[in-house]
Amino acid sequence: MTPLQVYFPLALVVIVSAILAFLLVGLTNLLGPRRPSAVKSGVFECGSDPVGDAHGGFGVKFYVVALLFIVFDIEAVFIYPWAVLLKELGWVGFADMALFAFTLVIGLIYVWKKGALDWE
Amino acid sequence: MNFPTQDFAALAPVGILSGGALILLLSEVFLASTRRGYQASLTVLFSILAAVAAAGGGSPGVIFNGQATVDAFSTFVTVIVCAGLALSALVGAGWLRARQAERGEFYALALFGASGMALLGSATDLLFAFISIEVMSISTYALAAYIRRGKKPAEAAFKYFILGSFSSALLLYGTALVYGAAGSTLFAEIGRAQGPLLVVGLGLVAVGLSFKVAAVPFHVWTPDVYEGAPTPVTAFMAAGVKTAAFAVLTRLALVAFQATPASAANSFAWVLAALALVSMLFGNWLALTQRSVKRMLAYSSIAHAGYLLVGVVAAAAAGAREAALSSILFYLASYTATVVGAFAVVAVLERRGRSLDEEPADAWDLERFAGLGRKRPGLAFAMAVFMVSLAGVPPTAGFIGKLLVFQAAISAHAYGLAVVGMLTSALGAYYYLRVVVYMYMRPAEDREIGLISPAIQVALALAVVAVIVLGVGPETVSKLARAAAAIGM
Amino acid sequence: MVPSSYYLALAAILFSIGLFGVVSKRNILIVFMCIELMLNAANLTFLAFARQSGNMAGHAIAFFVIAVAAAEAAVGLAIVIAIYRTRGTLHMDEVRVLRD
Repeated sequence: MTPLQVYFPLALVVIVSAILAFLLVGLTNLLGPRRPSAVKSGVFECGSDPVGDAHGGFGVKFYVVALLFIVFDIEAVFIYPWAVLLKELGWVGFADMALFAFTLVIGLIYVWKKGALDWE
Repeated sequence: MNFPTQDFAALAPVGILSGGALILLLSEVFLASTRRGYQASLTVLFSILAAVAAAGGGSPGVIFNGQATVDAFSTFVTVIVCAGLALSALVGAGWLRARQAERGEFYALALFGASGMALLGSATDLLFAFISIEVMSISTYALAAYIRRGKKPAEAAFKYFILGSFSSALLLYGTALVYGAAGSTLFAEIGRAQGPLLVVGLGLVAVGLSFKVAAVPFHVWTPDVYEGAPTPVTAFMAAGVKTAAFAVLTRLALVAFQATPASAANSFAWVLAALALVSMLFGNWLALTQRSVKRMLAYSSIAHAGYLLVGVVAAAAAGAREAALSSILFYLASYTATVVGAFAVVAVLERRGRSLDEEPADAWDLERFAGLGRKRPGLAFAMAVFMVSLAGVPPTAGFIGKLLVFQAAISAHAYGLAVVGMLTSALGAYYYLRVVVYMYMRPAEDREIGLISPAIQVALALAVVAVIVLGVGPETVSKLARAAAAIGM
Repeated sequence: MVPSSYYLALAAILFSIGLFGVVSKRNILIVFMCIELMLNAANLTFLAFARQSGNMAGHAIAFFVIAVAAAEAAVGLAIVIAIYRTRGTLHMDEVRVLRD
């Protein structure tokens, strides 16, 4: 089968759902009655009035943790292929990975002692 | 599998630099309660050790399956980088102490950056070069943002980061295309490949590197970043980043000249020649009108990138290759000593606001230099030496560097470039010597004499000695540069 | 099987989108994401070429690029935070203290 044939059903789904979506939204917009009132535009039933701004910032602590997570998480990218090939790579591979991990540990010690891991 | 002892031994300088960075990081968290004076000395010590290890140890050869080559060229580059690092660290020590901002992280980042630069000098593989460039660049982005007060450092770091990572992305995409054309990223393999994909890929890589060396029209970030970054960091960028980026650009240009068919190599050389031409013209032209000495030095660094590109173009001609390569190396050595020294003087005279957050608009104005010859004869003499050297007037290092580059261009039959280079140098002399005129012929406006510390004095003395020694007796270094020009590909 | 050239074309399109975004967008975070897009387009190109030629080097390169991109993102985000703290906005036009 050519790629086009493989993806034909998928394309069909995309096209049909797009048409349907436009049709439904378009029809309700065209045909639906519109009679706004104070009650209708108020907060819905059991909802409470919103507090604060939806665009409020997050605490900077989240950011620091996320940043540290990215950096230390990436080590897995190297460790998995290395672990699979551990036997073939032998001691050379082990020494390389030990050097890599050692550098990361120094970084971790630095981050820890600097207090970046303390939540409070 | 045998343990690749030779590979690791050859990387000893890089190991010393990055090991030193780790030690300084740990010193910051474990010994921070004590005085920090030792950190700058430690940095200088590590850079000297790395330079000695590069010069003395390790037999030259191809390491890591051809991804890097340790030869006289890489050794020369490593030594220049280490010298730039040591001088910048001394300037940094004085500058940061005056602002109560001295921390181990500053030196650690500088050492990491220098290890990337040293790696870059020996890179003979595009991926290896990309990773080295990123090690160098990411450290310098962070260094540019090192001072957390005021608006300028963050803005400089941001501009540097956006344009730096943009150029890295171009370089990487170019590398991917080259990989597709050649089936490998090794320079040696690229040399055997052909086809339009290769030409496009190498072109993108060249654009990426042109951003790093700040050649016109890829220079727009330079003045803002150089102005906004802390002055010692600017010195380190001007010296180290430029040296390392030119090292890899030179190696790559040689590959491209040899590899691609004559027509493509020719057009490659034409593009480089055009870059050199506009860099010399615009760099000098834009520097003319600057009142701020720091900004003037930033534009002048663009012009110097142009002169260095003339050397790279000359290397394209088979007959002039050795002369051109040695002239590039000598120029890089002389530029490093001169520019770090000039920024050291700028760092001393920098006007500071009453509060720490204030950023006076005239912090680096020419007026700051008025009457310096009477107020501080030593400092004025040092600045005069650096300005004369940047202008390319004998008997200084800058003169010999320009002489060698233009000689190489002439023996490569690139007469036009040599002539434009000489004319723009004459233009450049105007704004360099204007600083000297201000220092010796204008009356001082106030009694303010700037903040000078022993560390900066040492850096200034070393830089002055280097500039004069390279200018008066260049034989030793130029002999070394000639030896280093025999690149083992 | 989808031919490699499709991947190459997709990567080229992604790279162009990133390139266009860096040049034209005024929000710092969007510019930042566009740069990541360019890096990943390059990565996709490496993988497509590696598959086309059966050469494993491209796969290894992709790992390194991922690691480098993460390190770059970490430093870049820190710089973006520094910009936001000094100016309270992420609009490019506000970043203009330094100019001639």
